[in-house]
Amino acid sequence: MAPKKKIFPRQKVCRFCADKSLVIDYKEVRTLRNFVTERGKIIPRRIYGNCAKHQRKLTDAIKKARQIALMPYSGPTQL
Amino acid sequence: MRRYETIFIVRPNVAEDEIEAIASKTSAIIEGDGGTILRSNNWGLKKLAYLIKKEDQGHYVYVDFAGVPASVAEIERVFRIDDRVLKYLTVKISDSCDPEAVKEQLASAAPVPVTNEDDVAAKELDNVEEEQTD
Repeated sequence: MAPKKKIFPRQKVCRFCADKSLVIDYKEVRTLRNFVTERGKIIPRRIYGNCAKHQRKLTDAIKKARQIALMPYSGPTQL
Repeated sequence: MRRYETIFIVRPNVAEDEIEAIASKTSAIIEGDGGTILRSNNWGLKKLAYLIKKEDQGHYVYVDFAGVPASVAEIERVFRIDDRVLKYLTVKISDSCDPEAVKEQLASAAPVPVTNEDDVAAKELDNVEEEQTD
């Protein structure tokens, strides 16, 4: 049996902590769009390595954007 | 005095001056309760992410103001009655607000970004590249 290949995941850094100029705002759909799938689902933070604080703000912002029809609840995110 | 921002969506077939009228009625409610309008923007006709009352487009109007909770209740009551308003959203930004200080701050800050499509496309491209290196 071949030895199990060990995978070392690269340390991911929260994008919003690294770049302070990047603000989370429900009105700025362009930023939010990077954190949902093509179908509009919110991408879990284990994928991009967001910190808990920013992921929480992000989900709040996405949900607000959905309420006012800036982002879809489901369906293509590119308008 | 609290700081709020309200976005409301008006039906696409409503004339520009009627939208102005709705916006000024909103302002009148806020100022009648002793509030101050900090910013008011018309974002123009935008495509909606999903159908609202069988419409797929709408005029977005954004109002940033300092006011009391009662005026928010009144504005929303009026919006619910008005058939031309498809949807509205009010968000509280802060619990206390000094209108003068905020106004100064807004004036000194760079004009609010109504982001250019080209800039955005470039930015998104950058982001995609970043994701790939991850």
